[in-house]
Parts: sequence; C-alpha cells; structure tokens
Amino acid sequence: MTPLMHGFVWGLVIATVLVTIAVLSIWFERKFSARMQSRLGPTLVGPAGILQLVADALKMMQKEDLIPEKADSILFRLAPPFTVLFTLSVAAVIPFSENVLAADLDIGVLFMLAVGGLVVFPVWIAGWSSNNKYALLGAMRAVAQGIAYEIPLVLSAMVPVVLAQSMRFSDIISVQAETHWFVIWPLGPGLIAFVIFFICSLAEANRIPFDIPEAESELVAGVTTEYAGMRFGLLQMAEYLHTLIASAVAAAIFFGGWDGPFAPGLHWMVLKTLALFFTIFWIRWSLVRFRSDQLMALCWKYLLPLSLLLVMVAALFVHYCGVGA
Amino acid sequence: MTRDEAQQRFVALLQERFGVEEIPDDNYPLIDAKHHFELARVLREEFGYRIYSFVVASHYLEKVDAKNDNAVIDIEHYEVATGIRCVGAPAHLASWRVRVELDQSIPTLFPLFAGADWQEREQYDLVGVRFDEHPDLRRLMMPEDWEGHPLRKDYAIETACPPWR
Amino acid sequence: MHSVTGVDPHLDIETYDPSADLMVLNLGPQHPSTHGVFRVKLYLDGEIIIKAVPYAGYLHRGVEKLCEELTFVQIIPIVDKNDYVSPMMNEQAIAMACEAMLGIEVPPRALYLRTIFAELQRLASHLLWLGTFGMDLGGALGGGATLFMYCFRERETILGLFEEVTGCRFHYNTHAVGGNRHDITPKFSCDTKTTLEVIEKRLEEYVQIFSSNRIYRARTQGIGVLDGDLANSLGITGPLARASGVDHDLRRDAPYHIYGELDVKVFTESAGDCFARTLVRLNEMYESIRIVREIIDSVPEGPILGMKPGKSPGHIKIDASQGYSCIESPRGELGTYIIGGGKSRGASAYRLKIRSPSLHAASCIPYLFPGHTVSDAVAILGTLDPIMGEVDR
Repeated sequence: MTPLMHGFVWGLVIATVLVTIAVLSIWFERKFSARMQSRLGPTLVGPAGILQLVADALKMMQKEDLIPEKADSILFRLAPPFTVLFTLSVAAVIPFSENVLAADLDIGVLFMLAVGGLVVFPVWIAGWSSNNKYALLGAMRAVAQGIAYEIPLVLSAMVPVVLAQSMRFSDIISVQAETHWFVIWPLGPGLIAFVIFFICSLAEANRIPFDIPEAESELVAGVTTEYAGMRFGLLQMAEYLHTLIASAVAAAIFFGGWDGPFAPGLHWMVLKTLALFFTIFWIRWSLVRFRSDQLMALCWKYLLPLSLLLVMVAALFVHYCGVGA
Repeated sequence: MTRDEAQQRFVALLQERFGVEEIPDDNYPLIDAKHHFELARVLREEFGYRIYSFVVASHYLEKVDAKNDNAVIDIEHYEVATGIRCVGAPAHLASWRVRVELDQSIPTLFPLFAGADWQEREQYDLVGVRFDEHPDLRRLMMPEDWEGHPLRKDYAIETACPPWR
Repeated sequence: MHSVTGVDPHLDIETYDPSADLMVLNLGPQHPSTHGVFRVKLYLDGEIIIKAVPYAGYLHRGVEKLCEELTFVQIIPIVDKNDYVSPMMNEQAIAMACEAMLGIEVPPRALYLRTIFAELQRLASHLLWLGTFGMDLGGALGGGATLFMYCFRERETILGLFEEVTGCRFHYNTHAVGGNRHDITPKFSCDTKTTLEVIEKRLEEYVQIFSSNRIYRARTQGIGVLDGDLANSLGITGPLARASGVDHDLRRDAPYHIYGELDVKVFTESAGDCFARTLVRLNEMYESIRIVREIIDSVPEGPILGMKPGKSPGHIKIDASQGYSCIESPRGELGTYIIGGGKSRGASAYRLKIRSPSLHAASCIPYLFPGHTVSDAVAILGTLDPIMGEVDR
C-alpha cells in the first residue's frame, strides 16, 4: 500500500471513529452528569437511553434551517463546517498505535498546534456573521481566550518535543516507551507541563471552568446563539471533538501513547485518551466558571512564565542528562 | 428604648415642631404637604430613621352626601402615606400621611432616601400622584405609552387598553 | 447626589467620554439569568458596564388592583403568587395586617405553626437561591447545575413536608385571618426532624464544594459591594442589608409570632459583596434549622383559628382606617399596607399595597452594576435574589 493510500484509509477510519466516539460521549456525559446530580438521565429511548442520541440527531436535522435576516449568510453557513474541519484535521497526525495513524509527519506537533489554532477563525466568523450582540461578545471572548491560551499550550507542548528531540509523534512515543512516560520522568517538568497543557486544552475547547465564550447564564449561548438545527449540532460536535482530540494528544505526548504492558498498543492509547476525556467531564460537572479577566490573568501571569521556565528546565535536562535518560 | 417610647417621641416631635394637633388611633397623622420633606429630614438626620420603608399613594373620588341634596363633602384628592424605620431594635416605624390635591404635587424624598426613586415612580405610575423634582419620573410597572393610572378609583378593572385588550 | 458609592444612577450617557465606542446590550427580558422576566439595559464600554437601566413590569399582574376587588378571604391565595419562592410569607403578611387592624388574637398554637412554616420556608427559599446562584456562576451545563440539582433535591423534601400539612406543594392557602387552616400531626414533627438532619448534613457539603472553592471565591469576593448606608436609604432589608453590616432583623428587633420568646441570632457581614451575601444566607439556613428544632416539640395544644369561621367570603370587614404590618421574609421586610373600607361595606380593601423587598433589592442595580463586567452583573443579580413575581406584582 502506498503511503498516500495508507494515510487516506486510516484517516477515514480515524475520523469516523472519533466522530462516533464524540457523539457517543454526549450520551455518556448525560448519564454521567445525571449520576453526579442524583438524576437518571435519558432512560426512555432504547436500552439505558442510548438511542436518545439518534433521536436528538434526527431532531436536529429536521429543524428549520434558520438564518437571521441581518446575518452575513455566506459566512454564517461556512463557519460550522470549518470548525469541525479544522478540529478533525488535527487527528491526522495523532498515532493511535504503531500502524493506526494517517500521516506520521516529521513536524507532527507543529502541525497539530498550527491547525488546532485555526479553529479560532471559524468561531470568530460565526460570532461576527450572526449579527447578534451576545454572539459577538462570545466570539470576542473566544478569540481573546484562544490566542492567549495558544501560547502556554505551544510552550508546554514543547517540553516533550525538547525531551524527545523530535516533533514527530511516533518518535516522542518511542522515546517514552524506551525510557519513561514524560508525565513521570523527568520528575517535575513533565507533570507540570502536562497540567498546563491540559488546562490550556480545556480553555481552547471552551470547557468549564473556561467556557466563557458561551457562558449561557451571561451570553445566552455565546457564539451559537443564532444557530439552529444541524449547524448548531456541528458546532456542538466540534466542541466534543476538540476535547476528545486534545485528550488524545495529551495521551500521546505525555502518557506514552501506545506504550503499555499486556495489551496491544491501540488498547492503551484508547484507554488513556478516554480516561483524560472522562476527567474533563468530571471537571466540567463540578466547577463553576471563571470570569474572562481572571482567565486572562491566569494565562499571562502564571501559565506563560511557568511554561517558559519548563521549556528551559527541559532543555537543561536534555543537555546534561541526555534524551529521555 | 421600647417601641412605645419611640412612638411617644415621634408624636412629641410632630406636635412640637410640625404643629400636628391630633394623632389618630391608627397612628397615621395627617401633616401638611409643606412639612413632608422637612419631617423626613429631621427623622433621618436627628433621630436615625435611616431605612426607607414604603410610600403609598391612594386616590379618593369626590364624596357627596346623598341624603343632603348631593352636597360635596370632600373633593377628589390623593393621600400619600410614607413610612421610615430606624435600624435595629426597636425598629420603630415612623409613618404619616399627606393630603395632596388633584392639581398639586408632593416633594420627592429622593435627596434623603435613594429608594424613593423607584417607589415614587411606582406610585406615580399606578396612582398618578406627581412628585416634585423627582430625577426620573417615568412609569415603572406599566408600559411607557399606557393611558391612565390603574389604581385610581375611576379606573375600572375592565378598562379597555388597546392594544392589550 | 448619593455620593456614598460614587455611582450616579441617572448618569446622562451623552456626557460620558464622547470618543468611547459604547454598545447597548439588553440583558433580558428573556435571558437565562434574570430569574424571570426582567430587563436591564446595559451601556457597555468594551465589556465594562457604564450605566445600567432596569425596566421592571414585565410580570405586572395588577395584584393590588385585584385586592381592591376581592375580599380579604379571597386575596390570600392571590398574594401567594407574589413571591412564588416563599408563598407562606406572603400569606402571613396579609393575614397579620388584617389581624392587627381588627385586633384579633391569634391562638398560640397557630403562632407556633406560623413560626415553623416561616422558618422552613426561609430554608427552602435560600436553598433555591443557592441552587440558582450556582447556575448563574457555573452554567446550566456544568458545576452550577450540579449544585442546582442538589439544592432542589433538598427543597423538594421541605415542599413534601408542606404538602403533608396543607395538601399543596406551593401556594398553600393555609393561613387565614385569625389563625391557620391546617393543623400539624405528630408525624409532621417527626418527619421535619429527620428532614432537617439530612439537610444540615448536606449543607456542610455544599459549603465545602462551593464556598470553599477558589473559583467561587474569585467570582464573588469584592464583587458588587453594597454600602450599608446606601442599602438603608434604598430600603433594602434582609440578608442583603445584613451582608453590608446593617444589624437589623425584624424577627429580633420587632418580634412577631413567637420570635419574642426565641433568641434569634442575626448574622452580619461587613464586606457587602456577593460572597458576604452568600455567607449570610448560608448562616441563616443553619439558624432556621436551629429555630425549627427548638420549637417543633413544644407546640402547645389548642385551637388554631382565633375567630369563628365565617360563612361567606365577605365576613371579614375592616373599617376606613390604615395599618401596616410586616414580617421578615427571606428577602427582607415584606409588609402590607391596608386602607380599609373598600367594596361591600369594608369586606375588601380600599387600597392595599404590598411592600415587596425584591423591588427595593432590584432598585440597587443602577448603583451596583457600573464598573463591573457582564459576567459580574450576572453574579450580582444572582445574589440580589429578586423574585420577579414580587418585584412587579
């Protein structure tokens, strides 16, 4: 099989599986949050309410395709698919096992950061083209937050890159498999970098406690205020996909990816990804949200200097102790 | 100080400084409109009545004596009752009434009590009594283009108000 | 004019920096965190509020006009709907005003019942406030909703107690002029004690989860500081004023029911911010639990209605005089001003005014909002806890 064909086939498989997991996770989250809140969650449609997803999807597709009269209708239509597109593109470079990957780019981490950062644009376009003040405020916050958190995100992702001396995902994972997971060793920089990466991913994915762009008690629904039907569904799915992919990236560069005993690599990667994904749900349903200026303060005052420091520490570590060590 | 003592002090104040002769049984003495603001000021600044409790305006129609050839007993007018309260025990409520003629207005208490802003707006809105030098005398409850004042006695509960009915 | 806060509620927006690019944002009338239908017109410079103009009246139902048409017996279920979060309080305020004007003696058992109902209702009302406030801070899809669900679970148990006595979970119509209409049973006392035990235990957890939470503190501390003098001058009473250092509680200072015999603790905070208001309400919940526990076993036997039940709805007649009486509702001084001598020879009021604490609370919005962001505005509105049914009546 040519590399192109290989990439195409696996890319299709990975994209399909990720979208399916993202959709299934909505059901899981509803059940999970219901348990946390001493409720039952969906129970009526199908066993344990799992077909509720199908019902919801059908409902969304049937909804009238509303576009506000004063909205910029072309941009308004373009924004949701591009949000999903940019989010899903990141998955192309994530290796789920030695073989299950679409493209093993030598600049994998850079690609992930660059394409992931593009998501800010369709979100801004969605907010701007809606011609709604709440959507505009939400988009403003999303851009401010997205740009601010991009920097510590990049810097914390640099720590494993420096430690592995490569931007290729498979190299980063192999180094971890040979030595230790970066979250464990070198003690300190790896773990802190993971925490920063995780926080920034939450902020990028607009998850509580950083869901300020769509803070529904303040901004009604933020960017998604004017969207209805499947366009709204796409924006929601992009959010879940973003969370899922961020978990996969974190699992790959900090938790050793496919590395693990007994079971095949794919199992371990999926397990790690889902564990992180679950943690995000857990956080979401137990915390209240920040205010946007507090969020910025957290980023610029604490996360940014700390992540810079971590890159330096990682570099010194590599200089004196060698790669992985 | 007990509440009775506070009440006696209030009554004494009314009689000595504001020329009120009789205090009715229900403790709502009628005072002259020109003393309204001054009384509130004295109570607030000299006696510590700092909590703005309520202002109630009521509308009275012309009263005639049916037995005596429909002789006019009382003309149409408003009455505004005000209550202010002191902080902490005994939480005495000082209250009084002011009679306001239909074409007259009553001074606002806004310079003394910020709460008078909304409360007086509400009374203006519902009853129609006007407050002098109120900073923002707009309707509070009813829409801005509403006709009439619903709590007036000549405003029947079925009054048609387009386009809402 | 009121320079205590330095905020002019009637700021002429034209005089504000003409080079500023202001945005007008209508918060409401239908908005997730206005707790009903309420509109605040915000003038924003960036995301900072320059001026806030509240518009009330979206829920104006003309209750006061209706009270002039109906008799004193008929208006009790009507006023239930004013403060729909604590209906018991509305009934008590009306019934007490009529009793004071008629000079009716309420039997001691009814006074005990009223005190128990009032305190349980205060607990239920504060629980609902805590839940919805969590929702304001944390969102309907997040940690706030979790708190909301927990608080509603607890509140349901209290409503269950009321249902046991009155047959209704809401809008009880259990207070009558002269006493109560439904008596409690030994089972009620027993159930109340178990319910309170559960609630007290769980309250500890809520305090742990939320008020000890760093984010929660960051969102509430120093936000929406209400000055004590301004609070008094606006007529703000209850937990809002107490959080601003005003040591004033009608239960202690002007006792009614049987509060005179009880030693009601009044909690004050000096900060006056959203966090102080949270603390005061949490403490009041514990105090309510304590009061109910103290008196639930010592309810005296005897009648619960102090007058002969009338045959017609117009049997209570008040002559043309005026009277005002008030109680400490969960939101502050809830009073009723009645001028008697209305329709059908005094069977209905000539003029009835409900002094609603929520209206006074809402009137501080123009003073508190400016200088804060939209996010803070939501937090402030949440802690003011205005019930729109009561603001607009």
